[in-house]
Formats: sequence, structure tokens, C-alpha cells
Amino acid sequence: MKPSAATPYHQAAEPATAEARAAFEKAAFAALAERFGATLDPLDQWGLTAVVDRSRIREVLQFLRDDPSFRMDTLLDSCGVDYLEYPGHDLPRFAVVYILKSMVAVSHRLRLKVWVEEDDAVVPSVHDLYASANWQERETWDQYGIVFEGHPNLKRLLNHADFEGHPLRKDYPAQRRQWLLANDPMIDQLEARLRVLGYEILESPAPTSPSLEETSFGRKK
Amino acid sequence: MAALEHPAAEQTPSGASSLRPGPEGVEQNIFTTSLDAMVSWGRSNSLWPFPFGTACCAIEFMALAASRYDIARFGAEFVRFSPRHSDMMIVAGTITYKQAPILRRIWEQMIEPRYVISVGACACSGGFYDCYCTVPGIDEIIPVDVYIAGCPPRPEAYLEAIMQLQAKIMDESYVKARAQRAHERIHIG
Amino acid sequence: MKVITPEGDKVELLTVNIGPSHPATHGALRNFVALDGETIVASVPEIGYLHRGFEKMVERGTYQQVLPYTDRLNYCSAILNNIGFCHAAETMFGVEIPERATTLRVLLGELSRVIDHLVCVGAALVDLGALTNYWYFFNPREDIYKIWEKLSGARLTNAFTRVGGLYRDTYPGFEDEVRAVLPVVENAIGEVLKLVEHNRIFLDRTRGVAAISAERAIAYGWTGPCLRATGVDRDLRKDEPYMGYDTYDFQTVVGSTGDTYDRLMVRMFEMLESISICRQALDRLRPGPVNTSDARLSLPGQDKAYHDMEALINHFKLVYEGVRPPAGEYYGATEAGNGELGFLIVSDGTGRPYRVKVRPPCFTQFSAYHEMVEGGLVADSVACLSSLNIVAGELDR
Repeated sequence: MKPSAATPYHQAAEPATAEARAAFEKAAFAALAERFGATLDPLDQWGLTAVVDRSRIREVLQFLRDDPSFRMDTLLDSCGVDYLEYPGHDLPRFAVVYILKSMVAVSHRLRLKVWVEEDDAVVPSVHDLYASANWQERETWDQYGIVFEGHPNLKRLLNHADFEGHPLRKDYPAQRRQWLLANDPMIDQLEARLRVLGYEILESPAPTSPSLEETSFGRKK
Repeated sequence: MAALEHPAAEQTPSGASSLRPGPEGVEQNIFTTSLDAMVSWGRSNSLWPFPFGTACCAIEFMALAASRYDIARFGAEFVRFSPRHSDMMIVAGTITYKQAPILRRIWEQMIEPRYVISVGACACSGGFYDCYCTVPGIDEIIPVDVYIAGCPPRPEAYLEAIMQLQAKIMDESYVKARAQRAHERIHIG
Repeated sequence: MKVITPEGDKVELLTVNIGPSHPATHGALRNFVALDGETIVASVPEIGYLHRGFEKMVERGTYQQVLPYTDRLNYCSAILNNIGFCHAAETMFGVEIPERATTLRVLLGELSRVIDHLVCVGAALVDLGALTNYWYFFNPREDIYKIWEKLSGARLTNAFTRVGGLYRDTYPGFEDEVRAVLPVVENAIGEVLKLVEHNRIFLDRTRGVAAISAERAIAYGWTGPCLRATGVDRDLRKDEPYMGYDTYDFQTVVGSTGDTYDRLMVRMFEMLESISICRQALDRLRPGPVNTSDARLSLPGQDKAYHDMEALINHFKLVYEGVRPPAGEYYGATEAGNGELGFLIVSDGTGRPYRVKVRPPCFTQFSAYHEMVEGGLVADSVACLSSLNIVAGELDR
């Protein structure tokens, strides 16, 4: 069933070794430190986490993705962390962590970290560099309230549209519940998608939410 | 009840006398019962489930519908995904606040008589997700007839719940409910 | 809604909600689509209908208390999630778990992968209208459940591993029962293959349907069987071997076009590879302890706890405060049923995880869904969704 090999990832790879990983981490960090002034994150004792400035995160990711010696083509995850209650923490409150790996070279794995201040929680969006970042950034916005500048559709992903606050922040009480009256009709998102595909909207449809007429059930606040 | 007209039975040369109208067939073929018992018997043995499956419990519902546990033995195998066709809603899985209005809407779309089985810890009480996003029990949204414990419950527990629901339906009075409705209609009118 | 197409035609589109309560969504997803006849013109998926706060909940318990929550991520293969979390936490401690525990984890993990794929392929075939295969697949699944029940007491949500080993050793006769169940699964796979392999309806409904290229799949962060279906030969068990997977003899199953057919067939043949790994693991299973002797992780034995002061204190601390990994951040990944299941654990040195971020394989796969179904028929979107094996518990956490 194997196809003709077009790119290296179409063939099986040799298993990653500890030496190959160490060599990659050394080379990657040297390049990041030299070009982008990256520093090591002391919290990561098991692998490589490079801390970069948030204004340069797009450059860093583009470099790592396109540089032939790194080829970090997969953004596995990007997520927020709230260090509000972390003991002895004197850096900005939030961090956005990017978890990267390469499908070309299996020993290539690293994480990037961007510190974000609470009163200026804005990070440039990377949805155009990695398609997977689109939903990950929406989730981070939803859970932590970190704004991704340039994101085309920065809406809540996991929580409902009427939700107030950002539940994974350490100061959000776990049991503060919020009722929803009616689901998001999502017509604006559908129209935005149609425009991306080259359609011109002449007339918007009537909202057909799965629960729109439903606003009358007895609820406890 | 009128005498049975059964053309096939008429043509059978022998052994069909029990189906043929006549004094000897009446004793064996006609019985008297109350309308309530008749209606409840029919309802309880042909429950059409609507599986509102959201999480782990739905996988156990799949096991229940498969051949080993075979929900068909209880007359409830005709799984319908339209609330208009079904009369037993099986809420299997965690209900979040995002899902809650939809659950309520679907329950309202079901035609009476309708019954609800709340499956598993999450649907009954929120389970161990005591959290900002989970409804602490679906009975905050819709009335529940039978609760099943477990996380997730075994298929046998589903069967037990269906049997309990059947017993509950057998106790219901169609005639009284009908009289009640008529009474309400007169008062509103 | 009235629109002008890119070609300049004026058409009327119909908007339809597929889900969140729909037989084909296998859980709680919503796909809001604009239809031109039966063709999906635009699609906007919405998730979060089963968001039950995994990440908030685990911050409130100890590391061992995270395990029951991991069960309910991908509930089709709970043990694989247990292994993923334990493996990440154990790496933070730097402990090696005993030989028997590792082998048992491989064995149970591969059996879990089998039952995960059984549900996925069985349900996908139901969505295509082939109900028989579902009966064929659920019978061996029940047989494996029986083993699970004897092992852990639970059919579905096993929580069988612990940070530092396993919950307990197996019961007498376990190996024979596993050996007996493997041919049953193989037989079921063979029967289903006979039914669908040359079935015209199956081929027409799946071949060339909702295909995705390797480049797009990688851009969307795909991993696991769905990525392998696009022809990318990557499997964490081979590439970054953990738990001694490099010592087992097995093949990765790779597709070529990345369509629905490839995704289902990759899963089908992966089950056979997993069964082969199970047999090898059974052969090398030797008696021995199943928990590490490291006092930071394992409870002391009853005789010690009763007669030794330090052991009693250790027991108390482990139960009351939980295991305490060193402060720091670690991302550990294993190959779960749907692909790379990662756990980013932030530890502050106490017995409770400061933050656990799950990297669910479904999440990135489903984020590409709209691209795959646009331009296809509504019926094809159903076939595509079931072949992706989206498990809402893992998707929404």
C-alpha cells in the first residue's frame, strides 16, 4: 500500500536516539538564541523549552517551520498557563506554550514559551503559519482570556457563548456555574466561511439554532 | 368484541376451529380486561428509545443494543433518533450547560407519554465533574423517571431500569389521565 | 440564504444543523452547513458540548486521582490514556517501572487499541448502513470486557495503571484468557473484511471520499492512524520508542490517499498488528513485582507499614499528600488509539498537579473537518466523521 516516496516522511524513520535529540536541542537553542535572543526556561529539566519575546513569536515559528535543518512542521498544541499561584513566581502571570515537533526528523521536538502580562494579554496569532493553531488559539482565549491578535474568528470554543470570565484562570472558582439560555446560531461564522470561499451573501438566513426558541425552562442561578 | 373474521383460518381444513367464530372458540380467544391494563401493557412492551448519548455511557448503550445484552428482549430495540418517534429518552452521559437547552428542547419535542431514564453518575448528579461547565443532574432541566447509578453503568443496569420503567408504566392509568386532560380542557375552554 | 457563487451564479442555499444531537455525530458535535442541493458548500463545526472541565478538575486532586479522569478522555480505550498520563508523570520522577509492569502495560494497551478500533470501524460501518459488522465487532469486544472486569472491576473506565506501576497484578488464568480472546478478534476482523472488502457499496461510499493530503494533514497537526492513512509513516511506538516498543516486531500500517477508505482500513489492519504485539508480550510475561520499589511512588507493604515507623509515615504521606514530582514542566506523549496523546504537566513540587494540559489527538483532526467535507455530499460528511473516530470526551475534555 506504500505510495511513491515524495517527501521523507513517507518512509519509516530510524528511532530517535538520546544523542540525536540532544544534538538537535543544542543546535536549535543556539540558532534561536543567536537570531531571536531566546533564553532557556529553567522549569523544563527534561527537554528544551525556549523562551522568546512575544513580538517575535511569528518570526521564530516561521523560521523553525521553514529552516531545512529543523523542519518543525507540526504544531501539536499551543496552550496557556496561569502562574498566579505558582510558588516563587515573579515573571508575568500568563504564558503561552507552543509544542512543536517535526514529521521529517523524528528526534526534533521542542517547546516555545511566551510570557504574557495580565493587563496586556495579547499575543500575535499564528493561524496562518500552522492551520492547527486556529482552534488552539480559540481555546486559549476561551480558557485564559489571552487575545490572539489577527485571529480571524476569536470566539469561545469549549464554553458556551454566554459564558463570562475565563474558567482555567486560577482565580476563577471551579464551581461557579453559568446557565445558557439558547445556543449560538453561528450564522455569522457560516457567512464568514462562505466569504472566504468566494461567495457573496445577498440575504442572511433566519436563525436556525438547535435551541433558539427555548428560553423558558426553569433554572436556578 | 366482535367475532373474529379470519379468512385464512376459514380455509384451514383442520385445527383451525379455535380461530373460527363459535361457542367453543370464544372461551379460548376472548378475554376481558380493563382498558388501562391493555394500554399500559402495550406501552410498556414497545418502548422506543431515543438515545441522548453524549459520553462514556453511550458506549455501554451500544453494548446494550448489541447481541450479548440484546435490548430487543424487552421490546425496546427500535432505536429512533427522532424525538417525535420515540417515547423513552435515555440520557447517557454528561450534560453540560452548552448542551442543556438542547436536551430540554428535544424533550419538549417528544410526544406524551414520554419517559426519561437518567443514566450514570454524570446525568444523575454531575458525577465527579463538579465543575463550572457540568449540569449537576439533568433533573434540573427535565423530569426523570428512573435513575441508574454507575460510571458507566453495566448493560444489566440499563435492563433493570427498563424493567422498572415498565413496572411504572403498568401502574399508570390511561383512563384517569384522559379524564384529567378533558377536565383541564373544560376549565380552560 | 441567497448568495452569488464565485462563478457569478445566483443560488439559494439551505442552512442545516447537523448535530449536536444527531445519530452520526457519535457524541456531541455540531456541524452547521450551507447546502446547495445535497452538496455541502460551507461547513462550520462547533465543539464543546462535552466540555466537562478535565483540566480544572485535575488541579484539585493528587496525581493518582487524575487517573479516573483520564479514563474518560477517550473512553473507548481507557487504559491507553492511563498509560499516557502515567508515562509522562513517571518520566518526571525519573523512575523505571518493573519489567512485568511494562510488559503488562504493552499488552493491555494494545488490547485497548484493538477495542478502540473495533468501536470506530464498527460504528463507521453502521453509519454506512452495514449493521451486521457492528454485531460481529461487539462480541469480541464483550470478551475483552470480561477480562477487563476481572482485572480492574470496571468494563469501560478501568483506571488500571498507577504512577509507578499498576493497580494490581493479574488474576490466575489471565494469560490463557487473553490467548483465547485474540483468535476471536482475528476471526471477527476476517469476517468483517470478507463482508466489506469487495463490497461495491462500501467501496463507492468510502473510496476517494473526504480525502486530505499529507501536507494539509500535517499543517493541521494530525497524528496517528488518520495521518498514516495519508501515507505518512510515523508512529510514536516506532519513532520514539517507549515501554520497550522497539523490541517488539510489528509493522506500521500506512495508507496512500488519505480518504475514508484508507482511514478505516489502516485501523482494520492495525488491529492485526496489535494482536501480534499482544502475543509477543504474552510470551515474555514473567512473574515479578508490578510496582516500583521507589518509596516516593509506591505504598510500603502491609507488614512494613505495621511494624516500621518510617514506612508508616511514608504510607501516610503518600495517601494524604500524594506523590510529589520535582517542580518543573514536562510534555510526555504516547501513541493512543487516535494518535499522539500528550500531557503537559506543570508541577510546583507539591502533591497536586499545578496544571495539566491534554493534547488530544482528536482535537487537531476535527479542526480540519470543514475542509474535508466542503464540496462533498451530506452523506459523505457522515462517513468522513465516523472514520476520523472523534471521541467527544477527548475532543472537549
